Formats: sequence, C-alpha cells, structure tokens
Amino acid sequence: MRRVVLALGGTVAGLVMLLSFRSHLASTASAGVTAGSGGTGTSPGSSSAAGSGSSAASGAAAASAPVSAGSGTGTAVTGDAIATPYGPTQVQVTLNAGKIVKVTVLQHTDDGINSQMIDGHALPLLNSETLTAQSTKIDAVSGASYTSAGYIKSLQSALDKASA
Amino acid sequence: MSGTRPGEPACSAGPGDAARAAGVTGISVSNPDLPGPGATSPGGTRIGRPARRLRHAEHVMGTVFSFDVPASAAPVLPEVLSWLHWVDATFSTYSGGSDVCRFGRGELTLAECAPELAEVIAECAVIKEQSDGYFTAWSGARFDPSGLVKGWSIERASNMLSAAAKTGPSGTGPSGTGASGTGHSVNGAGDMQCTGEPERGRPWRVGVAHPLHPSALAVIVAGRDFAVATSGTAERGAHIINPHTGLPATELASVTVVGPRISTADAYATAAFAMGGAAREWAESLDGYEVFAVAPDGATWQTSGFAAYTAPA
Repeated sequence: MRRVVLALGGTVAGLVMLLSFRSHLASTASAGVTAGSGGTGTSPGSSSAAGSGSSAASGAAAASAPVSAGSGTGTAVTGDAIATPYGPTQVQVTLNAGKIVKVTVLQHTDDGINSQMIDGHALPLLNSETLTAQSTKIDAVSGASYTSAGYIKSLQSALDKASA
Repeated sequence: MSGTRPGEPACSAGPGDAARAAGVTGISVSNPDLPGPGATSPGGTRIGRPARRLRHAEHVMGTVFSFDVPASAAPVLPEVLSWLHWVDATFSTYSGGSDVCRFGRGELTLAECAPELAEVIAECAVIKEQSDGYFTAWSGARFDPSGLVKGWSIERASNMLSAAAKTGPSGTGPSGTGASGTGHSVNGAGDMQCTGEPERGRPWRVGVAHPLHPSALAVIVAGRDFAVATSGTAERGAHIINPHTGLPATELASVTVVGPRISTADAYATAAFAMGGAAREWAESLDGYEVFAVAPDGATWQTSGFAAYTAPA
C-alpha cells in the first residue's frame, strides 16, 4: 500500500512540475488580467499546518466523491492521463495568478476494492500536499542533499523552472 | 567521516568515475541560458515575482546549485560557476587525481595542495571539536572532507556575489526599480545561504522538505541574512555514518539547522544527524544556531530559539 502511495506521489509530483511549467506560460499569457495579484486566489491548503499532520483530517473531509479540493476560480488545465500499474490517473488543476488553487482528480486508478480504498485515502492527501506546496509562497527549499538525478524531481527544481 | 557514502568509490578510478568526470568537463560555464550583462531574465516578468531577478541552476559536484540573484549579478555569475567547477575538480573524492585524493594517499603535502584545502581542513577540525567528534573528515584511514566542502563552497559563492554587488555599477542598489530585492540565495542541493531580501521589505521564505512526505513541507523558515541546511535520508538513503559506531545513523529522519553561516550550519546538521536522539541536548548548546528535527515516526522537536525563524504557511 505504501508503494502505491509512493508511486502516486511520484506521478503527481511529475504532474505538478509539468503543470508549474505550464502555469508559467499560462500566467505570462494572461499577464494583463492577473498582473501583480500574487495572493488573490484562495488557498485552502495553506490554512492547514504545513506538513502532513493535517492529511488525515483533510482526507476525511474530502473523501466524498468527486475528489477535489480548493475553491478558487481561474484557468483550468487538464494534465495528460498517466498510466500506472494500477490504471490510468488524470488530474485537472485550476490556476490563479500562477498558483494552483484547486485540484480535481478526473481519473482514479481502478484496480478493485484495494485501489478504491487507497485512492480514498491517498488522493485527498496528495491534493492537500499539492495545495500546501503550491499555494505557499516560498523562495527555496531546504532538504536532504539531492543528487543531480534527485534534483529533477525536487520542489526546488519546480521553483527554478517556474521562475527562470 | 560523518557524511561518507558507504560503498561508493573514494579516490579511485572506477568505471563510474570516467562518466562523472566527462559530465563535469562537459558543462559549459558560459551557459547560453545566462543573460549577458545588463539583460533581464526572460522569466523575470513572471506574475507574482518581481522583475530584475535571475534564476540559474548549475549541475556541479554531482548535484545542482540553484541561484536566485538580482539581474545585476549576471556579469559575475559565470565567474562564480567557474569557481565551483574548480572546487569540484580540486576536492573531488571521485577523481583519483584531485588534490584531496593525492593528499589522502600521501602523495602531496598540504603545502603542495591548493591553499583552500588547508582552510577546509581547519574548519573541519573546529566542527569536530564542537561536535564531540560526530563530524570528522577522517573515516578510519580515509580522508574525505566532502561533508564540509559543499557548505563551504556555497558560502564562498555567496560571498563572491556579495563582494561583486558592493563594487558593482550604481543603480543596482535600493534605488533600483520596482519591488525587486537586491539580496541573493545560493542553494547547493538543499543547503543555502541567503542575503538581504528577495523583494524589498520581505524576508526569504525557505520551505523545509518533509522527510516522510515528498512534496510536503515540514516547516517554513524566514530570514534575511541567514543560512538553512538540512541533513537526512530522504534523498540518498542512510548515507551518514556515526563515526563512533561505524554504523549508518537512523535515529532521525532529518535535521535542519538555521544560523548565520551555511558552512557551519551544514556541518552542524550532519553532526546532529549522526548523533541521533542525543542531538537534541547538543543542539540547545549551540551558539547562534537553531535546530529543527523530524523523527522517523514523524514526531518533531526544535531548539528554544528556533521559533524566531518560523514563518506562517
């Protein structure tokens, strides 16, 4: 089960990076509308404590379908469907001023009752983490030393990409 | 030493070394992504981020150094990057011909090595003394100052940027346009030195990666002239050895140290991680440095002064 969560985590981290790249393009394109409005989107993720202590609570709150989190308005971007060993997964995020303000899971993994149980727990948790990381304005990330390969998956890499 | 990677070659010329060496020499310091003098970053106009800032990620020392600098630092950045690659070549424990390897094998005296090696060794000795031997550049008979070199080189790179900013052209100071700050940060693989402000009136905000939940943050710290270093197993496994037992340290998931200098903060983080549970008392005794730790079960603790650095999410 933990492996599944980790696999999903990797997928979502990849999506987030991809989307943060797109968010850069999106926000540049809509500069006239959103210029300078760094904090206008609501950011439900950041109202809970940073870190995962809040994930159980947010999981319970968001367990009812459809799985989505956030209530901000903005531009919706749909990610590619990603094949996992447990079935395809696809998410849609809503961007406002370059930040993710809402995450909606369009396709869950569908591998029987186990998958449903895991999704019911993991997807809200990942939603919460995505929102926490994306909606919290930070300049840099400190963490255990990564290698060149590890950097690619790091939040620092996403920050560098989003701002470079 | 604390900070050695078991099973990895040290000062040998294995097959992996050739590939790594090729990767290092293959990196062009005159990166085409770098803007020329006076230019602004193409992304400098990103919404929510002030213009006149420049981000750059440099692959060096087997990892990535991320720079967040004012655009006015563009002319000096290539020199800083070039220096980091020199450090890589001189202090490498992967390339048998480096000064560090030749010194470790007794082929060179300290006086015959680059003078920076003596500087690093002296600093290692200070931290070893302060950490009851939990931080050391010697693992048995093997010499490996890598645990200090990265933090030391981050600090030197930051100092080079600061020196250039002081002597740089006018018009880049507080009278510059917009809300863009004149401070910079140098983040080497998750350990960083930050100076000044990224935006005028706002401190640096640094997220500490949660060691147990990838993509989540355990805490956010904020400051102006400060350093943040984290040691842990999240990226490279149990790679820090407790020099007193010879075994990998596993009592903590990660340790974050905040204080004025990254060279010291980074070494303290490594030492605290090697200490494990005993680090809590030791951390409280440190002068000018504050510590935050996450245990493998997710429990956290912090020194009494750490709250001064914590920022709201």
